Amino acid sequence: MSYPAAYLQEIESLNTKVSESHPTDILQFCANFFAKRLETQRAEFLLSSPPAQTSKMSGHTFPGRHGTNPNPFGGEAPEQVKKGAIGKVMEEDENDTMASPTAPSFSNTTFGSSFGGDAAGEGPPSSFKQTSGDGFPAHYGLGRRTSVSAESLNPTASSNDHWTPPYHQKTEEQITRLQKSISGNFLFSHLDDEQSGQVLGALVEKAIPAKGIKVITQGDEGDFFYVVEKGSFGVYVNPSGSLQPGPEGLGTEVATIEEGGSFGELALMYNAPRAATVMSAEAGSTLWALDRITFRRILMDSTFQRRRLYESFLEEVKILSTLTKYERSKIADALETQKFPAGTTIIKEGDAGEAFYLLESGEAEAFKNGVEKAVKQYGKGDYFGELALLNDAPRAASVISKTEVKVATLGKDGFQRLLGPVESIMRRTKYDEGVEEIDPLQKK
Amino acid sequence: MGFTTKASGLLHSHHSKPSTAEMALITQQDKDFIAHFAASQHTLPPEEIQLDPRNKELGRSSKGLCVRDFELVRTLGTGTFARVWLVRLADPKEEDRDKVFALKVLRKVEVIKLKQVDHVNHERSVLADIAGHPFITTLITSFSDHDSLYMLLDYCPGGEVFSYLRKAKRFDENTARFYAAEIVLILEFLHEREGVAYRDLKPENLLLDAEGHIKLVDFGFAKRLGNSKRRSFTTIFRRRTNSRPVLPSSDSEDSLSDYNKGETYTLCGTPEYLAPEVIQSKGHTTAVDWWALGILIYEFLTGYPPFWNANPIEIYKHPLPYRPRHLSRRTRHHPPILHRRPIPPPRQHICGAARVKSHPFFKGVVWDDVYYRKYKGPIIPQVRYPGDAQCFDMYPDEKRSRDMYTDELRGKWEDHFKDF
Repeated sequence: MSYPAAYLQEIESLNTKVSESHPTDILQFCANFFAKRLETQRAEFLLSSPPAQTSKMSGHTFPGRHGTNPNPFGGEAPEQVKKGAIGKVMEEDENDTMASPTAPSFSNTTFGSSFGGDAAGEGPPSSFKQTSGDGFPAHYGLGRRTSVSAESLNPTASSNDHWTPPYHQKTEEQITRLQKSISGNFLFSHLDDEQSGQVLGALVEKAIPAKGIKVITQGDEGDFFYVVEKGSFGVYVNPSGSLQPGPEGLGTEVATIEEGGSFGELALMYNAPRAATVMSAEAGSTLWALDRITFRRILMDSTFQRRRLYESFLEEVKILSTLTKYERSKIADALETQKFPAGTTIIKEGDAGEAFYLLESGEAEAFKNGVEKAVKQYGKGDYFGELALLNDAPRAASVISKTEVKVATLGKDGFQRLLGPVESIMRRTKYDEGVEEIDPLQKK
Repeated sequence: MGFTTKASGLLHSHHSKPSTAEMALITQQDKDFIAHFAASQHTLPPEEIQLDPRNKELGRSSKGLCVRDFELVRTLGTGTFARVWLVRLADPKEEDRDKVFALKVLRKVEVIKLKQVDHVNHERSVLADIAGHPFITTLITSFSDHDSLYMLLDYCPGGEVFSYLRKAKRFDENTARFYAAEIVLILEFLHEREGVAYRDLKPENLLLDAEGHIKLVDFGFAKRLGNSKRRSFTTIFRRRTNSRPVLPSSDSEDSLSDYNKGETYTLCGTPEYLAPEVIQSKGHTTAVDWWALGILIYEFLTGYPPFWNANPIEIYKHPLPYRPRHLSRRTRHHPPILHRRPIPPPRQHICGAARVKSHPFFKGVVWDDVYYRKYKGPIIPQVRYPGDAQCFDMYPDEKRSRDMYTDELRGKWEDHFKDF
């Protein structure tokens, strides 16, 4: 009697493996070998067959011991315990974006499907998700997600190297245009003037003399972000995920980028493969380029310095003097910068106190109703409104900016969230001697 | 636990070159140690793990082991520059035949190319320091050879929570709460005892052990943030391995208030789980893990993360405060935690573990019972024998085209890998 060919084939490859590896535990080795073969073969089968409708999962999805006593993880209703921990998952999904029947993970096939079926030898799911680009629609991101990371950087100020961002001269007009191009971009919109000044200065001109030059190539690693100064560029996407050789290799043109447009922003966050190819559509084009390391160093160094500045400011704030260094650094972390032009009423007498302000730069004055002259002057490093963090009392005076000012501010909610338990410690601090002189905002 | 005395002093540095016979002995002792490390494992209270008075061999670099001491059974997972293998001891003693481990292999050249040298060193040192926590993978030992770095970890046969979640589509509130509670304890330990930010929380990095409890794996982005006290203490302690360390008397207020005051700036994590301050490069702290926990609970309960798009840029563009999509449409089916959006409420994720633990979502949870594994896991993995890996997905074989770790690279970088 002869054996099936497929069987002989399997045995032969097992023989090869055994003679290659000289396993000590033969039985284990063979078991592993066949388990692996089975899974691979079924996975291939899955990949080649059209996806089927999701099966209804039975209630015994996770057979096993459930807490029999009412506990926070067990649910009170015994019915639910019986139903299984994930029993009620299929209630409402007909038109649900994530419940795509074409999603690879939920294909119902002979292998690994009946997750709730009979328990013997029943494994947990193989979701079989390949990274997108392997012929699978990455429909709702059901696959494993890849971690991303930029280069690790340490603030210049904490080491000994003296790094200053590169500076490339630009005309007034160019600066204005660049500012406009990047202002709407989420990576730049939250930068302060100093940071965005440094970023604009660091942009370097790159001439693209001819038509048909690929500035970035789909699938390649990305390091630069570009703004178009002059000319226009075509954006091409090849569905395979990377540029292919041959005339069709570019893929289809999906967009055109004109003057003032920008591309490649993801490269400023971390190194990821380019999602498209960008090619010059005319001769004599010009780009501005910025690389990730420069961008991230500018942000990091200025953030680092500002944090240290805030921390040193906070050390001077009397009501915070009982806090530990760590607690102060947490506050520094949560401070937000705001800018006001000269003559702005930052806080208004009689209003409810909502936030605390540190004056980072500029000057401001406090006024009280019925008093002609300013009752107090504030300069860099001074603070006001801190009693609002403790008391619900209304503001005892108005503070108006004398020059343009930059303040760091923390709301009452944020403060209490950070230091809720510490608030009582702070209240214990004797704060009665001369509060009036220290802070005109304190109202009896 | 006879191996404790045998192995002590052998797993750490050897300045003078040992003879071949000595080397063989060291290798054998290291092998005995790893084969039996589990025998001494029972759940230690967090303060003891922090001091690590008993299991001091755990996590230390081994000079005696090499990859040939293991039989690579199959791949359990892959990353951009690492591959994790299910391994057994090569030529095991009869009684050690069933002993299995997870061996994480990192190729030096890939680590350098992807600029992850710092991260890899952080990973090893953080894992070594925290070895022994009930919900964190245990680094048993590490070693290296001419072109690779190896971390030998305990094997968690249950596979990834990710696989269960995708298969189940969603977890009910109790299941989500069970895992969330164990993660809260992990983060409390990492942040508040160790000063470590984990920075890559997601279902893919949560494994289940044989009893269905969480094991957090992949510390590739974990980083110690300005907790110098603990570090120097560890160093002293490691040098004097045979004597029980004298605890610093000021274990209380001073050192506790010193934790995680540092911030860090390297953008890393997983797009769907990145906290806003990471996206905006404002510098971040351990608080980013609480943000990620919020995303994770959301994904547990709904089956998908709150912010998703095929193009990551679109995820990052979500305006602040974040408003998860589709929430209103679904809320009638969803547990109250999503109505309240408590962890994290937008821009309010700066908080400590105590605040999270006291949240109504965790009402009734006895945290000590969570830590000491008194609650039964909602999913008990089907594990038929010790080396059973059916809970893991299959991965394609390693790609052939490999860059070489050239002499030039070695000259420049080898010193960076000396801790392995």
